[in-house]
Amino acid sequence: MCRLAAVALTAISVFPQETQDPRDKRIEELETRVRMLEERLRALESARAPEKPAPAAVTPAPVAVEPAVAEYRSPISGYMDFHYNKDRGEQSPGRLDFHRFVLLFGHNFTDRIKFWSELELEHAFVEGREEKGELELEQAYLDFLVKPWLNFRGGMMLAPVGLINERHEPPSFNGVERPFVDTVIVPSTWFDGGAGVFGDLGKGFAYKFYAMAPLDATGFSAEEGLREGRQKGFQSITERPAFTGRLEFRGLPRLSLGASFWRGRTGFDLLTVNPRVRVFEFDGRFSHWRLDFRGQFARAGVSDAGALNLALQRRTGVNPNIARAMRGFYWESAARVLPRRFPHDLAVFWRYENFDTQYRMPSGYLPLPQFDRTAHVMGFTYYPEPDVSLKFDYTILRTRSALFPSLHTVNLGMGWWF
Amino acid sequence: MRIVLVMLVCALPAQETPAQQTKVVRMIAERFVFVPSQVKVKKGTVVEFRITSEDTNHGFHIPRAGINVIIPKRGRGEVKVVFRAEEPGEYAFECSKACGAGHTQMRGVLVVE
Repeated sequence: MCRLAAVALTAISVFPQETQDPRDKRIEELETRVRMLEERLRALESARAPEKPAPAAVTPAPVAVEPAVAEYRSPISGYMDFHYNKDRGEQSPGRLDFHRFVLLFGHNFTDRIKFWSELELEHAFVEGREEKGELELEQAYLDFLVKPWLNFRGGMMLAPVGLINERHEPPSFNGVERPFVDTVIVPSTWFDGGAGVFGDLGKGFAYKFYAMAPLDATGFSAEEGLREGRQKGFQSITERPAFTGRLEFRGLPRLSLGASFWRGRTGFDLLTVNPRVRVFEFDGRFSHWRLDFRGQFARAGVSDAGALNLALQRRTGVNPNIARAMRGFYWESAARVLPRRFPHDLAVFWRYENFDTQYRMPSGYLPLPQFDRTAHVMGFTYYPEPDVSLKFDYTILRTRSALFPSLHTVNLGMGWWF
Repeated sequence: MRIVLVMLVCALPAQETPAQQTKVVRMIAERFVFVPSQVKVKKGTVVEFRITSEDTNHGFHIPRAGINVIIPKRGRGEVKVVFRAEEPGEYAFECSKACGAGHTQMRGVLVVE
């Protein structure tokens, strides 16, 4: 009815000659008055209820509304990871390991200045001068939020490299242990001190770019690649900072694509050589219907690897046989097999990994075939509740060496987030 | 004259209709992203967010508008938030419930033009 009237009104105004003068003028006057009255009404309403500039109709359970500049402390959150690992075909007994006990907490000084932290106890028990557990401050940084596309961060931070390093809560990945590629090629959890910028570029693209403490080449090895080169913020030497960054596309529901890099000198503790490490990685995650897929490719290069090996041999008496290139990739498929209406969830998965920490050797060195490895990890993750995961997997780890038989491992795990 | 006045009174809501149009935004929250993370609307639009989570609880907090709600966990339904975009500007929104290592980077912006 009203639209008809509007059309009619429009029709009237289209023919000014026929409805000229006093009537039209009168209508215009009335329109102007009504608009003015509406504006005044809106102003009065907003003056009466200044605490609600934009009313929200919400279902269910709204949390208490906070003032826009409130300072508040986030409640403590955390995650835990409890494992049982048993190698088959060997006489070794099973191992029960409270792998991770992690607490996260933060504080909002204002809406634009925020603190966030992650404190982790690994393997339950820490004792000096012995190889026991670790107490790690993996994150402790301040964010200064300026614009969606430009924000600043400084403190102890996670390197933005790979699928797992920044997203490692146990219910968010399948398998009791993290992927091998995310352990030896991308040495997660990879954290150190630094500062940088990050933001949302729009159209689904987001970026991070940090300057961080570099890796320490004296910790590199043939078997574990870059892993022991992390300085972990323990009086990290920053003669020259390393640079790292990530570009991520997440503009479509249930699709995430990312590429990241790390680049930095690593020989600050060596006199004769200062190798540069370059890590390049890209990854993706995709879910469709009840199927989840994820994959990652990572490559790490070490310049002057031959000279680095000689320098470390002079220091320790053993040539570490460090490669000039390491490479790894994996693919994982998972199916959620319980109907959606069930309150529980069960994901059955299979992951194939291929990783080689001696992918390319410096001249004069031969790659050792036991470091060219493949892994099949298959099992399930049962979610009695979305934040609680009970995990089982069977892992077959093979090498290209005839001297090292394949290793079969049964793994059980419980992980939870709160 | 009376007919014209009746037309005018009826026409006013009709003229307001474009300004009061409702836009439904289906949003997915997961560690550590809102999809979409940028939403643009015209001034006067009523924005209805329907938000579901792919994993744990998240929060949906628009500090400038005083909105702060909890998004239920995966498979536990959706939260609906209605926002009247009356003032042009940028309304940053963020996760207000700690959700993991990257909690603080879970942000987005609603732009009212």
